[in-house]
Amino acid sequence: MFEEHFRWMEAISTRHSYVREKLGKGQPVIGVPYNEGAVILGFSPQPGKIFEIYDRIALGGLGHPADVERLRMTLLDMAHVEGFNRSAQDVTIARLLQFGLAPALKQNFEEIQRAPYLIQMLLTEINREGEAEFFRVNYDGYWETFKKGTVIAGDSKVCERIQKKIDNTDFASLSLDKALQSALRLWEEGRKKVESEKDAESSSDDDDQDGEESEKLPATLKEAFDRWNLEAAVLSRNTQRKCLYRLLTEQEISTLESAVTQ
Amino acid sequence: MKNSDPIHSSGDFFELLKRSGYNSQSAISALPENKALEIPQGTTVLAFHYKDGIIVAGDRRATAGNAIMYERCDKVIPIDDYSLMAIAGVPATAFEMARILSHNFEYYRRSQLRNMSTEGKVRALSRLLKDNVAMAMQGVGAVSPLFAIYDIQQGKPFLYFYDMLGAEFQILTHVATGSGSPMIRGVMEHENLWGSCPLEERSQEQAMSLAIRLLQTAAQFDSATGQARPEDKLYPIIAKITKDGYQFISDDEMEDIYKASMKRN
Repeated sequence: MFEEHFRWMEAISTRHSYVREKLGKGQPVIGVPYNEGAVILGFSPQPGKIFEIYDRIALGGLGHPADVERLRMTLLDMAHVEGFNRSAQDVTIARLLQFGLAPALKQNFEEIQRAPYLIQMLLTEINREGEAEFFRVNYDGYWETFKKGTVIAGDSKVCERIQKKIDNTDFASLSLDKALQSALRLWEEGRKKVESEKDAESSSDDDDQDGEESEKLPATLKEAFDRWNLEAAVLSRNTQRKCLYRLLTEQEISTLESAVTQ
Repeated sequence: MKNSDPIHSSGDFFELLKRSGYNSQSAISALPENKALEIPQGTTVLAFHYKDGIIVAGDRRATAGNAIMYERCDKVIPIDDYSLMAIAGVPATAFEMARILSHNFEYYRRSQLRNMSTEGKVRALSRLLKDNVAMAMQGVGAVSPLFAIYDIQQGKPFLYFYDMLGAEFQILTHVATGSGSPMIRGVMEHENLWGSCPLEERSQEQAMSLAIRLLQTAAQFDSATGQARPEDKLYPIIAKITKDGYQFISDDEMEDIYKASMKRN
């Protein structure tokens, strides 16, 4: 069936649209620097969005929970075996991606008989020079690096929009509180964009089912805080511990909530 | 990493190591028994409960038979934020165990999204020792460690002593191991029963001072235990473990504590 070249191309392109459609509702994960390291956050209906991978590496994922879990375990396994056999210093996102995850994802995506991973990932790391680095990994193994922060989102327009804002904001000079608040504002703007587009669509076509479904999703930060969990973690240079990763406490989250919802 | 591969998510780092081709026994188990083989060992490490938690201390000397091989050996090793291991025995095996253990706890915590229980951690070391019995019996890998851990849930510290076969013994007061330990076990018991106050009531300052004096005493009678050498800034290693996790005493602090401790009260 796939012996003819164009058949294969067609299958791959169908696969792309299938995965994109599946990821469409995925809620954004935003990763940005702040003056003591990096922060990564996202809203999720169920816990399971932000994770620790290694001493200086954090992961944010969206997509099918089982796929997020599988790739998270793969990263954990690779990082810990490498950290044990060599040293913690040899565990970097670039190596994990370049020699481990990315080729495997690509191969899996192109083996068209096999179910594709429904996933996007954002990885962040404090490198040995103390700088925050950000990586965005796509379901097909394609990955990009960012210095000023990045975002993953099911909706590519939302993603582009938030990314543009991140590029124009100097997060690295902000305190943790300010960086968290600004990142949440970006999340809200991303939602507004979606909502305004949905409005435009549904006014032209009142029977649009997507429009009805999306009404159920929180559109403002207040609604999001009411219905979902905010998961947020920092990689902070300002610690004596060898693990820089720290989940924000409930106290910190509620302080943040009252700061942005008033 | 195909998506048809089974997920191994027991959070067990030993299993992960085995899957990745690691063999702790490696070729060494094929070695013929050789009593003449000289491998660095001999030490004094000690630990006891004090007011805020547990003090763990050790000398710095590594020996092979009569030879002093190294004077700056760190025998108290952090495993994770809330646990420390002090080692007596063959350093190669002991350091490897500490590394495996450290990765084991962190791997469990990260993969299972919760801390391993204190009991689980205590048993993990026991399991490593048991796996090592063959090497210990051949005389090339015997290790007898101390393990100190602070349990945040229960809000109290726990101290364990292990024999080289992996049996674990919870210690409520004080313990010492290594070649110099017989010299000081009696002193510790005496201090605890008839000293100024029981060890578990002592302040951090008193506890550290006692630890330094004990190690100095051990070094006096055991050639495999190193003395402090202030002129070379060489001091015993002392760490405490409390509700805030572990903390090592820096060399600068040690200088003052050492000086004060060497005086008669």
